[in-house]
Amino acid sequence: MSTPIAEPFERLQCQWCQSLNEKSALACRSCGAPLDVRNLVSESGWREAPRIRDMTEIHFSNSTCQVEGEIVPVAEINLSPGDAIFFEHHVMLWKDESVPLTLMALSGGFKRAFAGMPFLISVASGPGRIAFSRDSTGELVVLPLHPGMEVDVREHAFLLSSHQIQYSFVRIKGLANVLFGGQGMYMDRFVTAGSPGLLILHGYGNVFERVLRPGESIMLEPGAFLYKDSTVTMDVEFQKLGTGLFGGTRMSLARMTGPGRVGIQSMYVHHKTE
Amino acid sequence: MFCARCGSKLPEGARFCGACGGMVAPSAPAPPAYAPPPAYAPPPTYAAPPPVARSAPPAYAPPPPAAPPQRAARCSWCGSLLDAAATSCPGCGGNVSEMAVSTRSGWLQLPGRKDMAKLQFGQSTCQIEGLYVPVADFKLAPGDSVYFAHHALLWKDTALAIATMPLKGAWKRMFAGMPLIMTQAAGPGHIAFSRDLPGELIAVPIHPGQAVDVREHLFLTATGNVVYDWFQTGVWFRTKSGDETATHYPVGMFMDRFSSTGQPGLLLLHAGGNVFVRTLAPGETMLVKPTALIFKDPVVQMHLHFERPQTAFMSWGSWGNRYLWLRVVGPGRVAVQSAFEHLHGEALSMQGHSYATEMRW
Repeated sequence: MSTPIAEPFERLQCQWCQSLNEKSALACRSCGAPLDVRNLVSESGWREAPRIRDMTEIHFSNSTCQVEGEIVPVAEINLSPGDAIFFEHHVMLWKDESVPLTLMALSGGFKRAFAGMPFLISVASGPGRIAFSRDSTGELVVLPLHPGMEVDVREHAFLLSSHQIQYSFVRIKGLANVLFGGQGMYMDRFVTAGSPGLLILHGYGNVFERVLRPGESIMLEPGAFLYKDSTVTMDVEFQKLGTGLFGGTRMSLARMTGPGRVGIQSMYVHHKTE
Repeated sequence: MFCARCGSKLPEGARFCGACGGMVAPSAPAPPAYAPPPAYAPPPTYAAPPPVARSAPPAYAPPPPAAPPQRAARCSWCGSLLDAAATSCPGCGGNVSEMAVSTRSGWLQLPGRKDMAKLQFGQSTCQIEGLYVPVADFKLAPGDSVYFAHHALLWKDTALAIATMPLKGAWKRMFAGMPLIMTQAAGPGHIAFSRDLPGELIAVPIHPGQAVDVREHLFLTATGNVVYDWFQTGVWFRTKSGDETATHYPVGMFMDRFSSTGQPGLLLLHAGGNVFVRTLAPGETMLVKPTALIFKDPVVQMHLHFERPQTAFMSWGSWGNRYLWLRVVGPGRVAVQSAFEHLHGEALSMQGHSYATEMRW
């Protein structure tokens, strides 16, 4: 038996993103989760995403992100030279005039449209400040991505991502016409290559996460799906709601099958298409 | 006994001020507004002043003119004088113990407000109830009045009379297809207002000589002594889609202007989401999402700004490669909300626009 050796620096592990923090820290440096609050897990196994305290600062690369407000939180980014972030342009709330913007080259972006506009991803480069928010009540979900991680996110739910993360998107088969009037539904895919990166989502209402075991599945309302590990499969199934003689109606549900994480939002907001 | 630094009332013999933390000089002079008792006053003299102090209107009473060098405690948001015993500001309802916080980039966040905080104006009070979609619940004293846009009314006493306010040219302005009508309610009685989305209630005191420009439909209510007017924003762009041309007004065709009559007044706005304010220095600029603007000082200039992101692959016609901003130019205050509405027409091909600056990266 070996006696445990006291570490020279005691570290606190964040229960949300597993990063190590100094013992005196009140909020996680990498994801902003309060470190002095226990995990809130429901009896059915959903874990509440951490409620980020007002004005918490999150560090990524050499830049910071301050989370401001608790009704419709704002992510205010202070980019240092050499750092960049990408996002959908309609989430920009304000910016310094001096922050340069470029467009990311996307294959297939023409086929995908948002509010009548071709789908574009903009890139802002440091140094300078730029802030983002969405149009409705919800919370920010901060997912620090470690090398080798792959996450799929509901379309238009990502607020911003740091430039170390590679971006692509995939179309969800079977959901055409169900949600977005003909365009079908896409998922944004975020993959880290060599270095860690930061991904911030905005979930409408409250956000919950659970980890599915291999083969374990759960049925979701497709509008509630927020994010998943790419190892989790998503299949759209139609359920007939019979009303006896007169046929009835069909409803679609998403079957999520593990292994991996699944995140949901409690408020489904209908996306308007202009 | 009073703090020499901030003017708060202190218990006799205190060594530190509870309000500002300042050390109390042994011979701290009392403000001249109160009959200055000698430093070691006998108890009867000391007991006399408090009732006098309480009966004074705490909210909009001009600072006692007798004591110019003395700095009294003031609300960090609205500048109202604070009573040392108060937990929330009588002018804006802000929580006194948690002063307005500024973000790293210098935006001031609206200070938190305790549920059921009370504001005062004239002889009337307004209680702010709820935290998601706050309600402004007025108790109007006889002679005091408020006016409001009719769609913001939540409930009222049956006895409280409301009447429409004559507005020049109001028929030109529509809200959801209905003409915009300002409605007035005069005390005594209770009346309450709220809006239809989660957000914050902003109390903007209008000091004598001051005015504020508010983006339309954010107005909740104002006290009767605030002058209401509106003007054309002059910020527009015209789009063409097929044979159809349309003119879009990113900050609205009109903006509301509220100004003082010489008496202090109170203006209540409701913004979606969280609220941030900054004071721009002369010539300082900021790019703001047009639909996120809440209010600005009249001296703040605004115009459209197009930003064309650099793209290596091609020029994508007129829509994809420009973003539309509102450029605000200081000096003056500007306030934004975090839950913005969608900007219509941004995606369409543009035929013309009002004065705009442009940046091509």
